[in-house]
Amino acid sequence: MPEYIIDVERLSYSYPRKSNVLIDVSFKVKKGEVLGIIGPNGAGKSTLCKALNGLVPHFYGGKFAGKVIVAGMNTLEHSVAELATKVGLVFQDPEEQLSGVTLTVYEEVAFGLSMLGFPKEEIDHRVREAIKKVGLEGLEWRSPFELSGGQTQRLAIATALALEPEVLVLDEPTAQLDPIGKFEVFSVIKKLADEGSTIVVVEHEIEELATFADNILMLNEGRVVAYGPARRVLTMVEELKKYEVNPPSVTELTYLLNKTLGTKLEVPITLEEAIKIYGEALGVM
Amino acid sequence: MPEPIIKVENVWFAYNEKVVALKGINMTVYPGELIALIGQNGGGKTTLAKHLNGLLKPQKGRVLIKGMDTRTTPTHEIVKIVGYVFQNPSHQLFASTVYEEVAYGPRNLGYEGEELEKRVKWALSMVGLEGLEDENPYDLDYGKMKLLTVASVISMDPEVFVLDEPTTGQDHKGRRILADLCLKLNEEGKTVIVITHDMRFVAEVAKRTILIANGRILLDGPTREVLTAIDVLRRAAIKPPQIASLSMVLKERGVDVNAITINEALEEFRKLFSAARR
Amino acid sequence: MSSLGMGLLRRTIAEVETFIHRLDPRTKFIFFLWISAFAYVFCDYAITAILLAACLALAAYARVLKPIGLTILIIVVPWMAVDVFVLGLGPFQFPWNETEIFRFNIFGYEVPLYYEGTAWGVTWPLRIGVCISSAMLFFLTTNQARLVSLLVRLKLPYRYIYMVMATLQMIPMLMDEANTIYQAQVSRGLRTDVSLLKRALHYIALMVPLTLSTIYKVQVRAIALESRGFSAPVRKTILYRTTFGKEDYMFFAAMTAATAVLLYVYFTYGFSPIAGMRFYLFES
Repeated sequence: MPEYIIDVERLSYSYPRKSNVLIDVSFKVKKGEVLGIIGPNGAGKSTLCKALNGLVPHFYGGKFAGKVIVAGMNTLEHSVAELATKVGLVFQDPEEQLSGVTLTVYEEVAFGLSMLGFPKEEIDHRVREAIKKVGLEGLEWRSPFELSGGQTQRLAIATALALEPEVLVLDEPTAQLDPIGKFEVFSVIKKLADEGSTIVVVEHEIEELATFADNILMLNEGRVVAYGPARRVLTMVEELKKYEVNPPSVTELTYLLNKTLGTKLEVPITLEEAIKIYGEALGVM
Repeated sequence: MPEPIIKVENVWFAYNEKVVALKGINMTVYPGELIALIGQNGGGKTTLAKHLNGLLKPQKGRVLIKGMDTRTTPTHEIVKIVGYVFQNPSHQLFASTVYEEVAYGPRNLGYEGEELEKRVKWALSMVGLEGLEDENPYDLDYGKMKLLTVASVISMDPEVFVLDEPTTGQDHKGRRILADLCLKLNEEGKTVIVITHDMRFVAEVAKRTILIANGRILLDGPTREVLTAIDVLRRAAIKPPQIASLSMVLKERGVDVNAITINEALEEFRKLFSAARR
Repeated sequence: MSSLGMGLLRRTIAEVETFIHRLDPRTKFIFFLWISAFAYVFCDYAITAILLAACLALAAYARVLKPIGLTILIIVVPWMAVDVFVLGLGPFQFPWNETEIFRFNIFGYEVPLYYEGTAWGVTWPLRIGVCISSAMLFFLTTNQARLVSLLVRLKLPYRYIYMVMATLQMIPMLMDEANTIYQAQVSRGLRTDVSLLKRALHYIALMVPLTLSTIYKVQVRAIALESRGFSAPVRKTILYRTTFGKEDYMFFAAMTAATAVLLYVYFTYGFSPIAGMRFYLFES
């Protein structure tokens, strides 16, 4: 059993019509780790996600250099269908991920499994498990098109979980959702993380990411410009601002206070930490 | 006191027997306001917004744009006054060049020749896309496409701008550019109404905020008041921006801090810490 | 999500449950082939009309009469009018015309209307009507997933199955999109009270975004499906019982009985028992 579920080594990739989308990207993800990926639009984050399940290069073609090994499988040597049971990929737009041919939530979650030829009893068991994990019990017999944005996105996560992948990759899962949808999806992700799932999530909601990511990788124009434990990367305020990425508000505030006032406050990355730090500093605990 | 530019009087609207989207909405907007419209999806924000440019007509009540009733005034007269920027650029962009895209609106309004060219150039410069006139809109990246859709409404020179979720799907840079654009338009005297889920954006940009839930207005007032009305926000499942949350917790413990943005907080904490030193 | 397109999607996937909906898709497909074959075997507008009436009756029972009826009305009736005009009237010299049934007097000219041309003018569109209505009956009463199961059983390559799926999904999506795009362009001053030329230009403003966004959506869905093992070269698990049930056998029994009757009529009275039409290629 490899120690790392994901091992990306010097990955460089160009689409047939767009070059240098990823340049020399390397990182590793351990079992049970949560990796957050941040960076401006166009940095290559989506492409990186697609390289983890083989869509890049099998679906898109293009020029691929370097190595991507997921759950012991080299993505160059396995088809997307084979990798689907190792890597579950969830996309940004909830509705566009629905197959459109199923009548109920249950069927939708079962769809991938039936495409891969699993026996019926196994399918039933896995579907019920997945629906429970994302909190959609009671909605099994509703039409997928009747769900709210948050529910639909959780359905998409369930369809990925049904294949029992070793790692779940989510590409800006909350970008199209309203606040309650974002809350629902982040709750599911945090629960899965607590249960020990290996998760890679691309997000612009850095304040949320700060509450559950172990490590953070920042991409800009195809290259890795920051990589390390969440606390270290998110407090690199100058670096982040250079690439027009906003650190959590409380982080930026404290950094600026320290800089302009000479205070030596510990820099928080979450609201809870900030409350504690400021409370102590102002003597109002 | 100037005349209101938009008056929404007891408006009710239902898409069908089951979905009543607006239940008695009352709202008055004066020229030059900068308003954020917040609330969960399905709560009525977009439905209300589409009443403001005549796309939808109220089933009960009325909407007055500069005194004109939207039910009896042709829509193409209303859209001259209220410009609406849709959320998804791919629902609007169709021309083969950026120039043509921006020229479409004013051309529909009857402008041509030199006057038309002037407007297009001005609109492009407002969003920072000058020099890209000959580009194909679909070759641009998402952020620029978004700016293009705003430019194509700017060129119609309406008095009111309604932007439907301009921040959704954007990265931080894109949000900043849009925030600056809203402020700039407002400085030029335009009334700006923004639908958004981004509370940080609301705190940094909007002077007035309206919260809609289940077809009713729950809160309508200065942004600071709305973003700190914690009980109502909780019922509507809305989280205030991080700085506002921090301020509210500290305030409960006796610290006089009211900041809702980083800059405000910087100022207030600077004073607090300097005072604490002395 | 309250929208016209989504409502259509839900409705066409039949929230209704009649015995016709419960029939195996293969049964309905065989019915389509069977009744279309008989429509062509007989050269008789009366028989064809009876077959069409049978289809429409089944449609009414399955509560899908409105879409099918409307389609027939829009396609078949104008077609019949044109055909009767062209084939039945003397001046157009339809070669099989013999028996005059009426004489029009137009501007002093005598224009005869012939039986043969009229009969054929009515029969051909009716035959198409039978094909269309039985095919639509199949589509409108078969839920998409069952349809996909059928195609899988027929061992159609998955690429094509996907194309069928994508088309079925697209229609309500397109309707939704089209509405939003229309609203977006109205907001930019698109008017419906302008000249034909301007309206043609406005059409482009609607079609381009619609087409591009459709293509984009299809691509995104393809990627999502790929990521869920869609093209795995394994034997897929069929979630639906695709075995014939009691109702299917009853239906087949009825079809067999009808076949016996129709064949008896054919061999005893010929291919045009009621209308007495002739098919001249077989003579002389």
